[in-house]
Amino acid sequence: MDTIATTQKLNNDEIFDLMKQFITEVIGEEFVEEMDITPKSSFTKDLEMDSIEIVSFSEKIKTHFGEQIDFTGWLSAMDLDQLINLNLEMIINYIQECQSSK
Amino acid sequence: MPVIKVNNKDVHIQELNKGAAETVLLIHGMFSNLSVYYFNIAPVLALHFHVVMYDLKSHGMSERTLEGYDLNSMTDDLYALMEVLNLDKVHLAGYSFGGLIALKMAVRFPEKLRKLVLIEAPDPNDDKTRGIIEEYSREFLEHYVANFTDTTKAKMGKRQMDRNHRMYEYLFYQTSIKKDMIQESDFFNAPEINTMKKDTLLLYGSASNCLEAGRQLHKKISRSDLIPLDGDHNIPIQEPVMIAELVSGFFKN
Repeated sequence: MDTIATTQKLNNDEIFDLMKQFITEVIGEEFVEEMDITPKSSFTKDLEMDSIEIVSFSEKIKTHFGEQIDFTGWLSAMDLDQLINLNLEMIINYIQECQSSK
Repeated sequence: MPVIKVNNKDVHIQELNKGAAETVLLIHGMFSNLSVYYFNIAPVLALHFHVVMYDLKSHGMSERTLEGYDLNSMTDDLYALMEVLNLDKVHLAGYSFGGLIALKMAVRFPEKLRKLVLIEAPDPNDDKTRGIIEEYSREFLEHYVANFTDTTKAKMGKRQMDRNHRMYEYLFYQTSIKKDMIQESDFFNAPEINTMKKDTLLLYGSASNCLEAGRQLHKKISRSDLIPLDGDHNIPIQEPVMIAELVSGFFKN
């Protein structure tokens, strides 16, 4: 798959906006309009995303950040409870960690 | 999101570790999608193997299709997918209905397979398997979610429930899936299963209704091992790490 990796480091707000954009692309604008997406929003409980939607979302993250992050590897270390409780902030923090270690 | 054309239909696939020498192909179950492998099982397998996952027709993000849910058609689809991806020979693992597709593949196209893993493949002749196919309703889905998915801990919200309901309704009332599955009732009695020579690992939940099907297959497939794991039919979600390690070890050995 082609990767459009960005080399530019993003701050927390920029990563958050990017996540919101990806979520909108995955579940559709009409559902996002009814939601108050915050960094504390969890994918499963608050955003009601199902697993195949989280796959789509993950692919967007991987495509955007490319080699900078090992998103699938990071997710695979989580058990089901952690995956269910996964929220935007955890991803933002993970991406920040990867960016600062480069 | 990689969507490729196979026999003129859109098929959603995911691949990991493309450069590896050997490929593991993973088939999900009915009313499910490739996400059953994507988060935990596939990344472990990808430490050693090229991993390919795909969504079956009308499932996940693959194109909706009205017909062809019998095991011949499903294995024709898989064969065509392997052709498109240039996969000559793969290790194959299937869960639930996907396990039946994997077994049919081993029977029909043994030259395309290295080793075989069947996770919780049900006996299509079992009343409970057939009951699910024959009696779908919104109440069934709500009951099913309330009573069975608690073992997977994931609760469905309204939008998820609606999405699932639409998929079930489409599959049950518009496609040929019911008729096609009823035709497969005798599949476990096919003589080719007894003569199949692939190394086969059978993984079943020790508390699963399908464990008896695993025992039947163990008797029929000469080169098979049956390993019961703690859990029920949802073992890939209950014990993903253990499944991934067992499958990886079996394919590597």
